[in-house]
Amino acid sequence: MTSTVDEAPAADQGSRLHRLRHSNVTVWVTMLIASVASLVASFVLSIDALRLAEDPTADLGCNINAVISCGTVASSWQSSLLGFPNAFLGLMTEPVVITIAVASLAGLKFPRWFMVTAQAIYTLGLVFAYWLFQQAMFEIGALCPWCLLVTLATTLVFFEMTYVNIRDDNLFLPRRVQAALTRFVRSDLDLILVVVWVLVLVLAVVLKYGEALFA
Amino acid sequence: MSKQARLRTQELRRAQEEAAARQARQRRIVLAVGGLVILGLVVAIIFAVVKVAGGDDGPTTASGKVVVPANADAGGAIPVGEAGAPVTVEIYYDYMCPACGAFEAANGAELERLLDEGTIRVELRPISFLDETSNGTEYSTRTANAIATVANGAPDKVWDFHAALYANQPEEGTDGLDDDEIAEIAADAGVPADVVSAFGDESYRGWVASVTERAFDSGVEGTPTLKINGEFWEGDVYTVGPLTEAIESAAEDQ
Repeated sequence: MTSTVDEAPAADQGSRLHRLRHSNVTVWVTMLIASVASLVASFVLSIDALRLAEDPTADLGCNINAVISCGTVASSWQSSLLGFPNAFLGLMTEPVVITIAVASLAGLKFPRWFMVTAQAIYTLGLVFAYWLFQQAMFEIGALCPWCLLVTLATTLVFFEMTYVNIRDDNLFLPRRVQAALTRFVRSDLDLILVVVWVLVLVLAVVLKYGEALFA
Repeated sequence: MSKQARLRTQELRRAQEEAAARQARQRRIVLAVGGLVILGLVVAIIFAVVKVAGGDDGPTTASGKVVVPANADAGGAIPVGEAGAPVTVEIYYDYMCPACGAFEAANGAELERLLDEGTIRVELRPISFLDETSNGTEYSTRTANAIATVANGAPDKVWDFHAALYANQPEEGTDGLDDDEIAEIAADAGVPADVVSAFGDESYRGWVASVTERAFDSGVEGTPTLKINGEFWEGDVYTVGPLTEAIESAAEDQ
């Protein structure tokens, strides 16, 4: 009988906040907002990359000081790792995420293989975003606001996508792993984890660059 | 329904309720711990922000507190020569910058002559934007700090020390001169020992960083950049003649 308890819909339990967080609308709207933000940031970064290609001394709106400097970041080799500006990748991939979010809001259910593929590709995107964040922070020594927005939005999309795929058992995981992850998600540990993670990033930026940011 | 069956149903229900209560308890603990961690992080962020943004220590930069050297101003100018001279020549430069070295080699003697005649007053404006080109030794900042220290303690030795630094200019992209070598150059230029020994305090690091930022904010795009009586001068700085002519014509206009 315990299985009845385990399988009770998460939305039936816990506080209003808990129910809100686990509602389908919240999940997809969060993903939609984050992917739109990421698309906008990619678009701005792509335009900046073109302007810099035209005129390497172009003054970009987000060159605020020695630390907040899109120009410094955009001129680095890390910013065109594949031979073209990284932001183009965002232009190609974020619309797919937007489509998934909107279609799901409309009630469409994607097949497992589709969601697994989306998860795999987006995981690569997340790794790439964090590699760039690490490079900007410790190698280039400058931060660009739009890149930080991409890092944050990518984190949120990854979080919600992973949440959905665990909830809907899309990932072809061994049963025990799936059960453990389901419990993890139901007790909101994933939400706590992502909030802690984002705050740690904020703290790291403030500690490393605070003086330059607020001077 | 038999009595036994009813009992069993009750037992099952009780077991279910207990399991639900246990889960709820676990979730509360998890949320409480998570909430505490989150709260701690938020407090740490606020603390870090307040620490750097607050305080009434005047403007700060990535390199710390701004202390303006005596005989210099917060805008970055270290004046050399007579205050009443008709023409003011501002020179934005970096001790690591090869083009600045070429400018000094060409026009240093002319500037010195015009200084001696009382035609010009030079405002040295050292900046440190080439720090990245000295393999992490921050040669630009160290030398700019040194000249600021000399301005503060031995203003009449500024010009000689300035000229001596360019006479011994290292190549861009090398470690530059080390602190002992800079001190030796200063001593040879006649800077008193107590002033030389203050180089190591790096008191003007913050000032150097701040005036570098201000220079770029004010439209300076590279070095050397010259202004004659407050106007950018775009002439040829690498040969003798054009600068002298521009200065002399500015002097006549006065």
